Amino acid sequence: MADAVKFSSGEKEIIERKLEVSSDSKSNKRDRFEFYEISRCVDVINRRDFQKIALQFPDMLLVDSAAVASMLERDTGKKVFVLADTSYGSCCVDEVAAEHVEADLIIHYGRACLSQTRRLPVLYVFGKWPVDVQSCMEQFQQMFPDPEVKVLVFCDVMYSHCMGELETSIQCLCLYSNVIFTKLTHGAFEDYAKDTTSDKAQKNCDDEKTEDNNQDLSQNSETGYYCKFGREFRLPENTELEEWSMFYIGSQSLCLTNLMMSYNKCQFYSYDPCTNIGRQETLNVNKALMKRYYMIQRAKDAQVVGIVVGTLGVADYLQIIERLKKMIKLAGKKSYLFVMGKLNVAKMANFMEVDAFVLVACPENSLIDSKEFFKPIVTPFEMELACLRTREWTGDYITDFRELLPGASGSVELEEDANDCNEVPDVSLITGHLRPAFRSPSDTAEPLSSSLVERNEETTLSTQNCITSAEFLASRSWKGLEQNLGETPVTKAVEGKEGIAAGYTDERGLEKNS
Amino acid sequence: MPNFTIDQIRSIMDRKHNIRNMSVIAHVDHGKSTLTDSLVSKAGIIASQKAGETRFTDTRKDEQERCITIKSTAISMYYELKEEDLAYITGERDGNGFLINLIDSPGHVDFSSEVTAALRVTDGALVVVDCVSGVCVQTETVLRQAISERIKPVLFMNKMDRALLELQLEMEDLYQTFQRIMESVNVIIGTYADDDGPMGNIHVSPERGTVGFGSGLHGWAFTLKQFAEIYSQKFKIEPQKLMKRLWGDQFYNPATKKWLKTQGDGYIRGFNQFILDPIYKMFDAIMNFKTDQVVKLREKLDIKLTGEEKEMEGKPLLKTTMRKWLPAGDALLQMITIHLPSPVVAQKYRMELLYEGPKDDPVAIGIANCNPEAPLCLYVAKMVPTVDKGRFYAFGRVFSGKVSTGQKVRIMGPNFIPGKKEDLYNKSIQRTILMMGRYIEAIEDVPCGNIVGLVGVDQFLVKTGTITTYENAHNLKMMKFSVSPVVRVAVEAKNPSDLPKLVEGLKRLAKSDPMVQCSIEESGEHIVAGAGELHLEICLKDLEEDHACIPLKKSDPVVSYRETVTSVSSQKCLSKSPNKHNRLYMTAEPFPDGLSEDIDSGDVSAKQDPKQRGRHLADKYNWDVSEARKVWCFGPEGTGPNMVVDTTKGVQYLNEIKDSVVAGFQWATKEGPLCDENVRGVRFNLHDVTLHADAIHRGGGQIIPTARRCFMACILTASPNLFEPVYLCEIQCPESAVGGIYGVLNRRRGMVFEENRVAGTNMFMVKAYLPVNESFGFTADLRSNTGGQAFPQCVFDHWVAMSGDVNDPTSKPGAVVTATRKRKGLKEEITPAEHFLDKL
Repeated sequence: MADAVKFSSGEKEIIERKLEVSSDSKSNKRDRFEFYEISRCVDVINRRDFQKIALQFPDMLLVDSAAVASMLERDTGKKVFVLADTSYGSCCVDEVAAEHVEADLIIHYGRACLSQTRRLPVLYVFGKWPVDVQSCMEQFQQMFPDPEVKVLVFCDVMYSHCMGELETSIQCLCLYSNVIFTKLTHGAFEDYAKDTTSDKAQKNCDDEKTEDNNQDLSQNSETGYYCKFGREFRLPENTELEEWSMFYIGSQSLCLTNLMMSYNKCQFYSYDPCTNIGRQETLNVNKALMKRYYMIQRAKDAQVVGIVVGTLGVADYLQIIERLKKMIKLAGKKSYLFVMGKLNVAKMANFMEVDAFVLVACPENSLIDSKEFFKPIVTPFEMELACLRTREWTGDYITDFRELLPGASGSVELEEDANDCNEVPDVSLITGHLRPAFRSPSDTAEPLSSSLVERNEETTLSTQNCITSAEFLASRSWKGLEQNLGETPVTKAVEGKEGIAAGYTDERGLEKNS
Repeated sequence: MPNFTIDQIRSIMDRKHNIRNMSVIAHVDHGKSTLTDSLVSKAGIIASQKAGETRFTDTRKDEQERCITIKSTAISMYYELKEEDLAYITGERDGNGFLINLIDSPGHVDFSSEVTAALRVTDGALVVVDCVSGVCVQTETVLRQAISERIKPVLFMNKMDRALLELQLEMEDLYQTFQRIMESVNVIIGTYADDDGPMGNIHVSPERGTVGFGSGLHGWAFTLKQFAEIYSQKFKIEPQKLMKRLWGDQFYNPATKKWLKTQGDGYIRGFNQFILDPIYKMFDAIMNFKTDQVVKLREKLDIKLTGEEKEMEGKPLLKTTMRKWLPAGDALLQMITIHLPSPVVAQKYRMELLYEGPKDDPVAIGIANCNPEAPLCLYVAKMVPTVDKGRFYAFGRVFSGKVSTGQKVRIMGPNFIPGKKEDLYNKSIQRTILMMGRYIEAIEDVPCGNIVGLVGVDQFLVKTGTITTYENAHNLKMMKFSVSPVVRVAVEAKNPSDLPKLVEGLKRLAKSDPMVQCSIEESGEHIVAGAGELHLEICLKDLEEDHACIPLKKSDPVVSYRETVTSVSSQKCLSKSPNKHNRLYMTAEPFPDGLSEDIDSGDVSAKQDPKQRGRHLADKYNWDVSEARKVWCFGPEGTGPNMVVDTTKGVQYLNEIKDSVVAGFQWATKEGPLCDENVRGVRFNLHDVTLHADAIHRGGGQIIPTARRCFMACILTASPNLFEPVYLCEIQCPESAVGGIYGVLNRRRGMVFEENRVAGTNMFMVKAYLPVNESFGFTADLRSNTGGQAFPQCVFDHWVAMSGDVNDPTSKPGAVVTATRKRKGLKEEITPAEHFLDKL
């Protein structure tokens, strides 16, 4: 062992690597059986006779995974797998991983974004986090002294179990006549089962799609029925969404941000059951929207766009990718497709020729603050704003890309016949330069030929298409292929460092000393 | 003066020797627009009696209301020289009719960019100086700019009526005042132009007739030529010879009728005796109601008044009489036609300054010869709003060839590079027009040497650009402005759904003003940046009312700062890549004094030959010669005043990560660690690099963020500080108000560095440096503290390091950092250096 060349720093480090998990003291003591709703799971499995069950835990609940798995195996006698390491956000259902073991049911634990899935039936177990309903009521009354106020109540999924209790206690007060509680559409497995037959869900996928879209995404229909992010509510007639205040139960999370961006015309109040603090949300949505608008402008300036796949679970992700590709091409830009698992700064900076990335992910993971990233990361909706003239900025904000697909409420036409477009260039407010106009497809098709290009009389070869990454390569100082014979000074070979790059032998000592 | 038709104008446009393109430039309130009116009255566009009362070239409502010119405006005029005057013209000519394209420009420093645009399209400049206040800061600025663009100046001493009526100057005092002004103007000319330069001797001198005197408001003016002609018969001397007697140390004894070069007993200066004396007599007679004398003088001078006019008294009579006696239009138009160059003359020496391409290509030769048959080459200097909202006339000058309606042209923006397609559009010109103050007239085509308006090209240019028909043409050089946009305001639409309208409005605003900068910041703020408070005020008003047409929220004006370092980094900064396999070691140090400015002015630049640049750096700033040659890059934007210098020795694969390090450097210098502002005046030394032997582990993803972190750490460990912009502020006021000025300046951290009396008056000129941040409301403050007697002119001058510790929120720079971070929505505290540093 000692003589073997070490290629890595040893497996010990990897095993002992610590994850940053904010587990609170409660989690140890709580009753796993109750918290993980074992009996409900067992009930569903037995009733529908699932054979292989995959369990998906977020990092913070992973400690309980073994215990939960053995409980389920004991009670159902079926094969149970624990899925480790989701490649994307832990709020999304990892269908691909489940398919590796040919599971026919996924049980998803912990926080979920409730995005529609396609391939497998999913049972959500959010975990029953305690809520002090009494204290919540008090905070509610403090925040809304006016009994006539119109309030929509949202909650983080972990607290959904107490919504009924809260609803009854508010109704008991007989004070507030205009309080509406939103319902989770995927809250119970039974609801989902109604739509899908007990056969493999995948089979019916195509038939269901239209139906599902109608069910899941319909909003602003004349009935005032809204269904977004797996939460549904129905507004009484003659009221506008803008008139309503939003009351959110849960701590600061992507879920809240997502809701605030989507319902950006409403005032948000929140109650955090962990700290028992209620407050008016001060995050300036207007400012946040303007920040996103800046990103849209960056996306507009971009000539080369990277489409990053941030989910393999959310339904219709392939359709939106296809749509994005088509749209980016129509706008005269070039696109590349990236699948890189979880995003990080280093990965994204590897592609210097890409001017902007568009991330296809679930609504809650779509909004990335890309300050630390080398290039901006936008959502599909923002990319549409940047590329399509048919989509206009109205102040509404769509985080769920499924709403952009044809047939959904937020969809707009791709301009297939861009012939009538007048080629008026646009001034970029970021660079201060003109950016090329939207190009019609016929325009882009013609100069792509590989034939000889006429050399200009006095200048160098003129490039016909100014937007390829070949041009980026040309602008690099190091291209990797030139030999530079005789240009590099000859130097004597010296003994280099020894060991591996993460810590050379001469540095090991330093590390121990410091 | 007959009214002329478009056809007549069009025909004279072809007579390129008889065209004069000129701008009127001066300090604010020295009477440009008023003087222009008296010229325009001569050209027959507005009625003669209105001259001096309307401001014809102030086309905007707010210009009329405020009595301040904001935009430069062009007017075409037609003037016929008399037969005997044609002899004065030295160059070629073609008939006696002259087409004069005049551009009236704003005098306020905030609008200097308009002057720059005006100068670009003209060949000559009428420099107006108020003979009471003398040469002021803006006079110098615009004159300097004119000369560097190779624009020939002539001088006009304005407001003589005030010198006589208000100040009651004695004749000799007035002469001395004139003499002094002329000398200061010639000093400026001498500083920036060589006598043996391409323009020849361009010093102004009354005896050659390049200096005019008079009163724009009263509508009278003269050059020595006018008087020389009157006296030439009496003395039987040719006017040209006589003119020499009428200026300088030429003394005349009326008794002996002898001339002397020194002042002897009984000898009176020629200028006083023959020019000032009759004017003084006329003023005295009219203003003191000596009716008999008035009539006598009038007969003697052959001034014919109508019956109505004879009834007048006092000032109106004075005005009418003087105007009939010495009409301003004639004197000035003669001076302009005789002494300012025609496009043929001017383009010969301007070509090499204007054209970026080879000086022997068809366009260059076309420009030099002002050849209408050569390929078209036209410079668009600015955009003028049309009645149609959001559309603009492109206003420019044809330097070569002919531009016509429907012509297919190449429109090249400032970023166009020959052979590339960027910033290049092939489009046709919808219409060519003639712009005359408030009116426009369609015209079929316009040959070179003329000023023109174009319809339909505005969308393909941001602000300025070159239009040509020659396929291999290069750009005409971009204009260089004398002011910088250092004052900024963040604007926000009250309703977020109006954002697109705001953005559209900002784009239009950016187009309509040569200088204003509109941008979106990463924080989502929409920024309008201008030269000063007044400039911004006008821009924002335009934005809200004309361009965006939506209600806006405006922040208080803020200043843009620059982040810098004041010492060498306290340690060699090490940052490791995310995979821990690559290491960068760097330090930062401040630039030596003057280097940032050298980079700003382009004396040291990224495009330079590395050897030449290395020599410059080694000679001037004592850099190590071998290091000076290894400057990797400039930044931000590849051109800014920061550098990375490679001081490593024998690092393998170093050239492979250069692009990544440069990308990280551009990023870090664009958004510095203190408050996301640009970095300025920092030299980064790359000391050592350890790289993973495998290329995949040292790609951009590993190096770019690491380099950025390392640059940030370097700045933070090198005593970071902020630069703030400073105005050079010139204040003119009576002696009694000087105390008030000092009080105001002291309160605003101002520093007076020069104070002197304007000779011959009781006015004082105070020059001070004033931080831009303290300048908001300065004008109003100053006026209220001096009883409205002091008028400041502020122009951006330099950057200065702030005193105090940036990490201490109670210090001045600390407060700025905190406020800026808050505005941009960043974390309140500066991220500590440790965050960017790694240990071995």
